[in-house]
Amino acid sequence: MTLRVAIIGYGKMGRIRHEAMERHGGFQVVVACDTTICPDASCPMVTDPLAVYDYDPDVIVCSVPNKMIPEVVCTALARGKHVFSEKPPGRNSDDVRRMMVAEHAAGDRVLKFGFNHRVHDAIEEAKKLIDAGTMGELYFMRGVYGKAGGPNYAQNWRNDPAQSGGGILIDQGIHMLDLFQMFAGRFEDVQSFVQRNFWTDVPVEDNAFALMKTAKGIVASVHSSATQWQHTFRLELYLRNGFVSVDGILSASGSYGTEVLTVALNRLDEGGNPIPNPESQELRFTEDKSWDKEIAEFHDAVVENKPLCCGTSQQALDVMELVEAIYAADPEWSQTLQQHKLQADRVE
Amino acid sequence: MQTPVFLDHLPDFETVAGEKPAKYRLTRNKALLELMLDCETVWTQRAACPACGQDLSRSCNFSQTLLEFRRCAGCNTIYAQRVPDQKVLDHLRLQIMRGEKPENPSKDREFEFTSLMNWVSLTEARLQRRLDTVVDIRFVSQAPGWPETTHRLSHNRKWDFLPLHPENNEFDDMRAYLARTAPSAVLMPAELDRVADPEALMQAIKQSVAPGTVIFIASSCADGLEYEVLGADSPSFIPLDRLTVFSIKGFQALSKKVGFSILEVSTPGRLDAVILDRYFKSTETTNIPFWSGFFREADSNRLRDLQILLQRSLKSGILRFVLEA
Repeated sequence: MTLRVAIIGYGKMGRIRHEAMERHGGFQVVVACDTTICPDASCPMVTDPLAVYDYDPDVIVCSVPNKMIPEVVCTALARGKHVFSEKPPGRNSDDVRRMMVAEHAAGDRVLKFGFNHRVHDAIEEAKKLIDAGTMGELYFMRGVYGKAGGPNYAQNWRNDPAQSGGGILIDQGIHMLDLFQMFAGRFEDVQSFVQRNFWTDVPVEDNAFALMKTAKGIVASVHSSATQWQHTFRLELYLRNGFVSVDGILSASGSYGTEVLTVALNRLDEGGNPIPNPESQELRFTEDKSWDKEIAEFHDAVVENKPLCCGTSQQALDVMELVEAIYAADPEWSQTLQQHKLQADRVE
Repeated sequence: MQTPVFLDHLPDFETVAGEKPAKYRLTRNKALLELMLDCETVWTQRAACPACGQDLSRSCNFSQTLLEFRRCAGCNTIYAQRVPDQKVLDHLRLQIMRGEKPENPSKDREFEFTSLMNWVSLTEARLQRRLDTVVDIRFVSQAPGWPETTHRLSHNRKWDFLPLHPENNEFDDMRAYLARTAPSAVLMPAELDRVADPEALMQAIKQSVAPGTVIFIASSCADGLEYEVLGADSPSFIPLDRLTVFSIKGFQALSKKVGFSILEVSTPGRLDAVILDRYFKSTETTNIPFWSGFFREADSNRLRDLQILLQRSLKSGILRFVLEA
């Protein structure tokens, strides 16, 4: 079955989704919407988001700035459309709750958020290794995800809290938090340090450090950074019988390197004690299939009524609540946010 | 198909060149010469590459301990031009075992076996399929059985060691054992390069196990830098133990011919760098462009980096395949 698609927000992400849908073959993009008409677009374009409904789409792909996501998603669901939306799912957990209400009211309509890191090959492989049980109980996780800001950092809407809801943590670090929750479940205790050191033209954090613990006692630490001059993705999971790590993540820029999964099972001595530095296996992944997998899962959910595994609204709510908990756990940063909010309210 | 890299410390050169390996090499070479002098030994001539089937005349030849070998121009596999019967090979192996004093295996040897067990465990997890019974085939090698290690590290897997006794050329005993035990996995860590007819062995396994059985095979690898540079001069090239040294391409061809699906290929060998290092440092007159200088100036860090590069490039002296019946 071919699904008629309208893409609202035809920037970098909208085009990436368009290409993935073309590769899949089960979609037909009937219209795209952005602030300007792109003359070389391969589909009709409009500038009014509501005008896309004139093209009778089955699906709305939402690739707009965070602030606009709830409105676009809720409107689409209210009109009986299936929705695929980019992350982050709005600017805060209230945005997600609002979308969940709309999702519930829309009955069997599918709502999926694009947390694509879950379906990167190295991450899926790590999940398989852990789920098999051989690695044993998960003890702790460490995650570092960072980049060197980016071009036009201060002008980018991602660093305008009114548009985005936060800085590097909500934009990029949210992927690492989503992976943490995929492996360990919800975190109950959160401690953090949130900083703004280098990119001082904008009132959002450029570094966030957090230490978290689940109810079962699994501890995780994350460092999300916009001053990671050497682009880095590194996720480590330490378990009773060994460890798994993922270094690098395939991205459109290619600047985080190839994905390298390293896994090791401990060698035990006669007394059952682990001998340090076990032999490890390294697997390299060089092709980013995450966009295709996400689109395929979405298609299966719409057409075959299969339940979503990745990018559910509940997962979106869980991770947004964790982002908020990290911001709130640093009293100084919490106070800074409050002051900015008051200033913004006065301006409005 | 996945191509993992196995990272570990580099073993000491003495594991291949110490007194014990040297004595073993002499014993094996003496046995080979006695076979050659024995008029009753039946030799089977090979007319084509046992891996890819390319005609023997298109391969270059060399000899080691008076046994003639070929390097296939089609797939790079090295193979003896003639081989004795399987039963003869097994009798020789049993003779060696009878002459050996029982001793505790070294930590390095245990690490090698642990590596095999972890290979099975991690593959099982990646395949998302329980491999609860393993038959470990060692009928032509003298590798110890490691029952205690198996108990400690096999993650509650039933691990059976196929007992060593002389086989016929159709491997009937092994067929019967596999049919009786119906394992979910077969491990064959050191047999492929030592048997008279590797294709017959592969066929016997394929015909004796259920579809879906996972086969773990390790062997020496002709693509390894050790064999590319030193060839028959490598200290690990003991003719009776290297009747067929498969290349990656060659073993892929044979696996497909027999009807296996290839799930994983790797070259986890850890000795190429240390073997070549010792060779170039001990033979000052040898002058091979680049490599002579490279090894004479190499320290242990450089050797480790090279060995990892070889593994990542599928160019180390050991190959591992995971196949599915």
